[in-house]
Amino acid sequence: MTANSIVTAVDLHRRFGEGEAAVDALDGVSLELPQGDFTAVMGPSGSGKSTLMHILAGLDQPTSGSVVIDGTELANLDDKRLTQLRRDKIGFIFQSFNLLPVLTAEENIVLPLKIAGRAVDEGWLSQLIDTVGLDDRRTHHPSELSGGQQQRVAVARALISKPAVVFADEPTGNLDSTSSNEVLGLLRRSVDELGQTVVMVTHDAHAASVADRVLVLADGRIVHDGVAGTADDVIDLMRTVA
Amino acid sequence: MVALSLRGLVTRKLRTALTALAIVLGVGFVAGTYILTDSINKAFDNVFQTANQNTDVSVTPREQFDNAGTSQVPAAVLRQVQSVQGVRLAAGSVSDSAATLYTKDGRDALVRGGAPTILNGESPRALSPLTYAEGSEPSAPDQIAIDKHSASLGDFKLGDTVRVSADGPIRSFRLTGIVRFGDQDSLAGAALAIVQTPVAQQMLKMVGRYNSINVIADSGVTPQQLTDRIRAELPRQLYNVRTGEQQARRDATDLQDQLSFLRTFLLAFAGIALFVGAFLIVNTYSITVAQRMREFALLRMIGASRRQVLRAVLGEAFVVGLGASIIGLLFGAAIAPALRGLFTLFGADLPSQGLVLETRTIIVSLLIGTVVTVVAATGPALRATRVPPIAALQDAASLTRGKTGRLRTPLSSAIALIGIALMCVGLFGGASGGSAAGLIGVGGAVVFIGVGLLASHVVRPLALLVGLPLERARGVPGRLARENATRQPRRTASTSAALMIGVALVAFIAIFAAGLKASIDHAIDDGLRGQLVAETDNFTPLPSTAARSLSQVPGVRTVSSVRFANVQVTGVKSTKAVTGVDPTTVNSVFETRWKQGSPSLLSSLGPGTTVVSKSFADDNDVKVGQTLDLRSPTDQRLAVRVTGVYDDQSGLLADLTLTNTVLATAFNETRDAFMIATTAPGQSSDAIQKLADRTLSAQYPTVKVLTKEGFKNDQAGQIDQLLGLVYVLLSLSVIVSLFGIVNTLVLSIHERTRELGMLRAIGTSRKQVRQIVRYESVITALIGAVLGVVLGAIFAVLVTIPLKDQGFSVSVPVPTLIVLLILAIIAGVIAAVLPARRAAKLDVLRALAYE
Repeated sequence: MTANSIVTAVDLHRRFGEGEAAVDALDGVSLELPQGDFTAVMGPSGSGKSTLMHILAGLDQPTSGSVVIDGTELANLDDKRLTQLRRDKIGFIFQSFNLLPVLTAEENIVLPLKIAGRAVDEGWLSQLIDTVGLDDRRTHHPSELSGGQQQRVAVARALISKPAVVFADEPTGNLDSTSSNEVLGLLRRSVDELGQTVVMVTHDAHAASVADRVLVLADGRIVHDGVAGTADDVIDLMRTVA
Repeated sequence: MVALSLRGLVTRKLRTALTALAIVLGVGFVAGTYILTDSINKAFDNVFQTANQNTDVSVTPREQFDNAGTSQVPAAVLRQVQSVQGVRLAAGSVSDSAATLYTKDGRDALVRGGAPTILNGESPRALSPLTYAEGSEPSAPDQIAIDKHSASLGDFKLGDTVRVSADGPIRSFRLTGIVRFGDQDSLAGAALAIVQTPVAQQMLKMVGRYNSINVIADSGVTPQQLTDRIRAELPRQLYNVRTGEQQARRDATDLQDQLSFLRTFLLAFAGIALFVGAFLIVNTYSITVAQRMREFALLRMIGASRRQVLRAVLGEAFVVGLGASIIGLLFGAAIAPALRGLFTLFGADLPSQGLVLETRTIIVSLLIGTVVTVVAATGPALRATRVPPIAALQDAASLTRGKTGRLRTPLSSAIALIGIALMCVGLFGGASGGSAAGLIGVGGAVVFIGVGLLASHVVRPLALLVGLPLERARGVPGRLARENATRQPRRTASTSAALMIGVALVAFIAIFAAGLKASIDHAIDDGLRGQLVAETDNFTPLPSTAARSLSQVPGVRTVSSVRFANVQVTGVKSTKAVTGVDPTTVNSVFETRWKQGSPSLLSSLGPGTTVVSKSFADDNDVKVGQTLDLRSPTDQRLAVRVTGVYDDQSGLLADLTLTNTVLATAFNETRDAFMIATTAPGQSSDAIQKLADRTLSAQYPTVKVLTKEGFKNDQAGQIDQLLGLVYVLLSLSVIVSLFGIVNTLVLSIHERTRELGMLRAIGTSRKQVRQIVRYESVITALIGAVLGVVLGAIFAVLVTIPLKDQGFSVSVPVPTLIVLLILAIIAGVIAAVLPARRAAKLDVLRALAYE
């Protein structure tokens, strides 16, 4: 285990169903994600990439194997501790934004802190809002924002608590290319400028090319682990391994 | 389509169950009411049949006018009947429920909870409906027989001493017989005490008079023939002569008339519960239809007609309504004994032997439950038909947002105003009691609908009002709860409107009762000059010797007694109430205000004069100096001159006031309703009251002597008792409306699955999720409660306007209303238990994957 590893997974197995119908979504996955790394997880549908992310984020339990996030072994945590861990150490970005329609953009961003009962670092908040370019949209409700703007709010929300790691599940899946680029650029900058660790599940080669490293899953196993390169590199890679 | 409806029911079990439960409760209440009242009727039918089974002909005094009260048959009439040819046996019957049977130690009444003790003169065996289980009939003045139920209740054995009182002190008897009434151990719950007829007459102060005469015919003479012969002999105006069978039927119908009030009373509350249930159904179907818009659009796209969509929704409602009604009917059988128990608890013992389920009960219950459900679902069902097929391809979110019609607000306002107008017509339109009450009730219901529709406008400010403190105290969960509550104002409005109805009625009753108590207090303070009041604790008249006993208590100065009777005044339609006073003492115990005349008129009241109330004088255009022709319940006529008009707001002096002597001679009313006494100046009236109460209770255990304060509390206690009963009956509607909150929350949570999943994913604890749901529920409940209290207050003010003349003052029971709001908070918390648990249990992964 490397000293600066934020996320460590060892021999993860996840089996759904039982007997004949059992499916191994994960079949022995081990990985280490160092601090400040931007990792893209790719793979065809059913390859287990979403399951992997859910387990890494403590949303799902592995059948066997262990996950350590920022020094905390997840296996021994009850629901309360897992909730606390998600609140303090993990940021989430979802494909379908998942903002609360009843709250304004700014309120959505600081929601994780409010839920945790922590004070808002106003300096950090305005820096974030500035970074995501929503300064003039602070008091707008999600229904008044475009998809790209909503996802940028979601990115800011994921970063507000300065989590150990941000998990992004198909963050560009519902966006047009301009908005996609904005969001990917944001994630990239969070890694480069803030030293944020980001894990992104995607099947968009262009998105993956923004990352430092690409993991490719097939049938529940890691079949490739290497630098991302350009979008074309990723497309080639997918052709060969998956 | 039907299959689709049924499939929908199965997949949405909880929602279906909650909707059905509202109907189950309402229908159960209706069915329970019918079953209970039918059972009581049946029980009394049996009683009357048994009572008259050996009687061929029955002679009873004819009631001279409505509410005149029954009079008696003199012994001379019995002799007259006995001499009629064909009479084998005729006997006078003495039977009066103004008696008390005591426990073995003689300290307490044996039968409590409203059931009377009936003192009977012993009848010849051939006529008696009683059978002796043990011993035999009383054959000496100191012997008594009692019913088997009382004997086992009081642990009496033959030879024991049994104490009974009627109009006078307690008397002791030796138990010589234990009787059964037909095949029953008691007379429909009442205790029976049988003594020799002269003894009974003496105890009831009716020497030489009977309540009725029962006759057995000679063989060869039919009951009808004998009835005709006896009828020819007696003055038609004074006596009813009927065969035993006719008499039994007559008694039964008379009782049914009295019971119909009870039935109407209970059905009103059942109706309220169903009305609230209808609100809930409208709301549930509105939400589910909105949530299923895509489904309906899909159906339309693949070729379903509007009619088919309508039928699918209404079919589901029909199945739910019918199923719930069937369960409700069964539930009613369980509610009937509970209702009976409730009345026993509040001091009215209703007899019943077994439960009677009439076909009518089944039909009414099933029909009402099904119709209410289907009618309530019609609005939402029509909305379902309006969804365009293309909607199947559109974003689901854009469909759930309800369009607010421009006409909605003016229309709802109009409905509310129409409701108020209906209430005003009922209140001030001069309609008779029944139809006025009907108008007010319907008006109230219409107001509820109107306000329920309008309530969406006040949801936001009210949610802010009740939600802000929550937000301050609880942070994000409070904030989200408030936002969630106002997200769909119409939904929140109709959910809280259901609760509003129950709360409004409770608040109305509470305010009304508080006003009533305040008015009574006021009247007692203003009107009562005496320091002591004596009355019985079971609404029976005082024993006639009690007045003397009270006046002999050291420290008591003047005792003045008051009697009540009814009278018919020539030229006046309805029966009027008469108060009897003692002219020599009334002014020292009582303070009156006069419109014309002065209190001295009361002192100078004599056989040929009367004073009347202002309202009687105004309503009937009666002037001072005018002579009124009165007819008493014993058919005596008397002419009295009006000497004055009083403006008495205490309610003690009724329409007319006569002397006690006139009431005794012309009305045969010799018993005092209550007595007022003054105490010697300089002495503690509390001490005298204690002594007087102890002295009188020792002689007449049912009599109590109270101070002015005690009398006020006693009156307030009686109101509180009725209030308690009404609250319990209204609570069912409140429970139904809580199901409404549960239902709405469950459906809303279902809608917000994704949001909840996200909240959980970013670190919201289960506890916080529960809080969000709970606070939303509390906010909804409080909105309902606040609206209800306001509406209840408006109703109370409106309804009491016509009572202003009678000295009714509105008084707002602030503590009660605060308790009501706190109860609403608790109710909100309770309603949220299940939905909150569901929301917290949500699987984060599945919630996020949910589309």
